[in-house]
Amino acid sequence: MEEMISKMKKIAYEDLSTKKVDRVIGFGKGDFIYEANPIFISNLEEVDLLVWDLFCVNNLSKYLINELKNYQKIGIFLKGCDSLGFNQLVKDNKVDPDNVIVYGVPCEGMIDPNKLSKKNLLKDLRYLRRVDEKLIIVTKQGEKELIAKDYEYDKCLKCKHPNPVVYSELLESNTLRNSILTDDFEEVDRIEDMNSEERYEYWSEQFSKCIRCYACRNICPVCSCDKCIFDNLDIGVSGKAKVDSEDQFFHIVRAYHVAGRCVDCGECSRVCPESIAIDKLNRKIIKDITEIYGEYDAGLNPSKSSVLVNYKLEDFDPFETSKGGK
Amino acid sequence: MLLESKENLTIDKEEFKPLIVAFCCNWCSYAGADLAGTSRLNYPANIRIIKVPCSCRVNPNFVLRAFQNGADGVVIAGCHPGDCHYSTGNYFARRRLTLFTSLLNYIGIESERLKVDWISAAEANKFATVMNDVLEKVHKLGPNRKLRDVRWKR
Repeated sequence: MEEMISKMKKIAYEDLSTKKVDRVIGFGKGDFIYEANPIFISNLEEVDLLVWDLFCVNNLSKYLINELKNYQKIGIFLKGCDSLGFNQLVKDNKVDPDNVIVYGVPCEGMIDPNKLSKKNLLKDLRYLRRVDEKLIIVTKQGEKELIAKDYEYDKCLKCKHPNPVVYSELLESNTLRNSILTDDFEEVDRIEDMNSEERYEYWSEQFSKCIRCYACRNICPVCSCDKCIFDNLDIGVSGKAKVDSEDQFFHIVRAYHVAGRCVDCGECSRVCPESIAIDKLNRKIIKDITEIYGEYDAGLNPSKSSVLVNYKLEDFDPFETSKGGK
Repeated sequence: MLLESKENLTIDKEEFKPLIVAFCCNWCSYAGADLAGTSRLNYPANIRIIKVPCSCRVNPNFVLRAFQNGADGVVIAGCHPGDCHYSTGNYFARRRLTLFTSLLNYIGIESERLKVDWISAAEANKFATVMNDVLEKVHKLGPNRKLRDVRWKR
């Protein structure tokens, strides 16, 4: 950890002082020890604020869209899942990769403060360190050794890309974590196995929790429209009323708008204050695409166009019926 | 008796008349509907046809809004793949609607309520059969309550 922080500070200091970049986006410490916030650095004195710990979970890639409007060259620290989002932003023509220097940071999995707080470990937390599969927590009462997997974010447990898939400079070449390459869509299957009434009930319960804060949209690296249809009330696409149908509408349309582009980073369900299973909608679409149109690779290859802006003559046709009538 | 309760009684007595919204592509299915009419073929009067330039013009928002505001079933009809007036429109529509129908099914909406079919300008018979078929299935399912907006009134 400390080694990584010094590497980060060094590279940020070098590139800022040689004017290779004029802005650096990284992680800074939040108000609490279990918080890490994005920070935006232009001055050399601020480089010391950079941190890297087990709570740097935010996907920074989306900040590039706004920051590139004001700055020419930007250096950014990206983890594996963030780099997928970055690739997708490049593919969507939202970010010019020539103006960005990506410092790749291999990630060993981030710790969920909510899971710690459930075990009442956040209180008097002083220090937290990870040694391979073990999590060492130092509180006022003393030191404790835990199994790290129990406290990782759900999305980290299924991590496919612990190492960045795209970078200009890699800060640490060792892979710190094994990736889980098999995708079994277990949680999607479980919902598919229900009958339609049960599915409807499950999703109604999920959607009715929604407070329409749009956090899932705001964090999503592929929800990058300048003007979102949910912000444009004049065109009558979206209503503001808190009724079930509007919640359904929001979630179905949001999931559908990222269809074929979702990089499955899991940020949407992480930021949801009501813990709605948003990723299960996205993953259903990913599952369908994998089954029908072949391997899903959003975020891996910025030059290949996505599934829904493409077609093949011999595509599977679920709607074809026999020609003619009676 | 209060006026309101009287109204409720009359509604209960009324037979369920499904409302089907059909998005028909201008070049094939709409002409197919035209031909069905001029050929004096029978298809139900509960179908409301909305003309769209191409099946790929149909945004999923339209379908959801139709369901919310009164429709019990939605039909999207376009040219057969390969026959699109704009060469490729229905190929894109095919991919999009494959995912969209599957997603709606996943949310728990009966798949019979959203029907996608390819109907050419010459297939008046097919138009009539598809519409009769959809109406029959929707009638069996009963009114659409799952996606309905609570503020909606018939």
